[in-house]
Amino acid sequence: MVAPALLHASLWIGLPVVASVVLAFTKYDVLTAPQFVGLDNFRDMLDDAVFRKSIVNTVVYTFFTVPFGMALGLLMALALHTGLKARGIFRTAIFLPQVTATVAIALVWLWIYNPRNGLLNALLAFLGIDGPAWLSSTTWAMPSVILVGIWQGIGMKMLIYLAALQSLPKELYEAASVDGASKVRQFFSITLPLLKPATFFVLITSMISAFQSFDQIYILTDGGPANSTTMMTYEIYKSAFREFRVGYACAQSLVLFVLLMGFTLVNRRIMGGTRGHS
Amino acid sequence: MATAELQKPSPRPRPARGPSPKVSVGRIALYLTLVVISLLMVVPFIWMVLTSLKTPVEIASQDAGLLPQHWEFGNYLDALKAAPFATYARNSFIIAISHTVLNVLVASMAGYSLARIRFRGSEVIFYLFIAALMIPTYTKVLPEFLIVRFMPLAGGNDVFGQGGSGWLDSWWALIVPGAVTPFAVFLFRQFYLDLPVELEEAARLDGLGEFRIYARIMTPQVKPALTTVALLTFESSWNNFLWPLLVTRTDSLRVIQVGLSVFKTENGTQWHFLMAGTTLATLPMVVLFLIGQRYFVQGFATAGLK
Repeated sequence: MVAPALLHASLWIGLPVVASVVLAFTKYDVLTAPQFVGLDNFRDMLDDAVFRKSIVNTVVYTFFTVPFGMALGLLMALALHTGLKARGIFRTAIFLPQVTATVAIALVWLWIYNPRNGLLNALLAFLGIDGPAWLSSTTWAMPSVILVGIWQGIGMKMLIYLAALQSLPKELYEAASVDGASKVRQFFSITLPLLKPATFFVLITSMISAFQSFDQIYILTDGGPANSTTMMTYEIYKSAFREFRVGYACAQSLVLFVLLMGFTLVNRRIMGGTRGHS
Repeated sequence: MATAELQKPSPRPRPARGPSPKVSVGRIALYLTLVVISLLMVVPFIWMVLTSLKTPVEIASQDAGLLPQHWEFGNYLDALKAAPFATYARNSFIIAISHTVLNVLVASMAGYSLARIRFRGSEVIFYLFIAALMIPTYTKVLPEFLIVRFMPLAGGNDVFGQGGSGWLDSWWALIVPGAVTPFAVFLFRQFYLDLPVELEEAARLDGLGEFRIYARIMTPQVKPALTTVALLTFESSWNNFLWPLLVTRTDSLRVIQVGLSVFKTENGTQWHFLMAGTTLATLPMVVLFLIGQRYFVQGFATAGLK
């Protein structure tokens, strides 16, 4: 009974992964047969200033969206864990962007960021501030994209933390209160350490999705202005489907994969791994 | 300090919904913070709906208020006429439903075999699925595209996949590659593992075949898993953008998310139509989320911690 799924995975995951690795060492434009070129693609990448820029951008984007999103998600989870009356409504509101397509969200934000009559600059004008042209300014485009990323991602992070909080043993807190430990102390000595597996999970999944951001870049900025918001996935897309350099794009996605694996392993080392679940 | 107020992991045993706890400054601050954050999360959606009801003139004017002066409900009808949104939405529905049915069916079968049947190589297969879980989309999207493009004997291709366009611009390309996810296989396996072995033994004693044990006895026990996988699959399929963008060229096969972005690049974006379209594209997911909230929340949480 495992056969259909296995067959599907072999054809649509196994084969593509192998093909991707092989094609990374070829020159291939889809129309003519792939030509083996050894490490040429990787050498080209070293000279490709835009791709280097995209790596930096991807790291910057991840560095800001993931930790800030996680901190906010954890704070929201802690707030909702206190047993407030209206917590269902708050939870729904915070989680809503998570079930909405990134394309739809990006379109709305495109409009919010509209320099002439968007919501953001209207609010700023109300405060007497002349807002910038958010998405077409090399200074502000990246922060604007990051803000959308944080905004959309809080819900998921909150939810996983909330689930983890609900499974924490109550006895520890009772014992700690008896010993006179303050709430802050309890948080840092009990809650945070016990949340480690959840934190590791949130960190890894958020990093993987931040590294693969594409939809919002496609809609919001097209990687611009002046490549200030281009990301690795966007460059891969451009190489393959606009320049028809499929071999080069495969080499780029291999770099993306190696970076992701590297980050995951480093995180695992730093966090000391996670409990095994079966 | 806000953090101190926010964290309150119920140190004392206290009825969760008992008489309201003492009204403290901290609690008010907590409520206020949550109200502000919730508003920030919802305002873009409200803004989207309000903009979709304004006239182009009002949208263009700089000192227009938040609420429309005239509520232009006609924008929706006009947007449906300006772009084939009905077709886009229908296509998205067909794809999302197909993915949901296929994923629930195929992945549950796989999850069941991996959890309950001992057979040679089951460990290896399980680890292969785990590995598949960790492959980034972008490592495989290009070759996936090439497989679709060079699918033998399809779309005018010969046995070697040459000559035609393969599965490009076809339902096959939109539905088949993304139909089964290793994540669903993994989730189902975890749920089937938790079932008591007695159930299976009793069924076996009654002389039921393996497939019947799966379909009649075990699967009805994992309804939460079925709902979770169904909702998550529908959600990601409805929201998918890159893959349908890559494999479709004709309007008749465009899905709603791609349809929206095409609308945007046309010269001089018509914001009132675009926001009407975006509202239409967002609505089904919001409704589904509100109806199935319990399962969604449970599903995402389970996905995280199992």
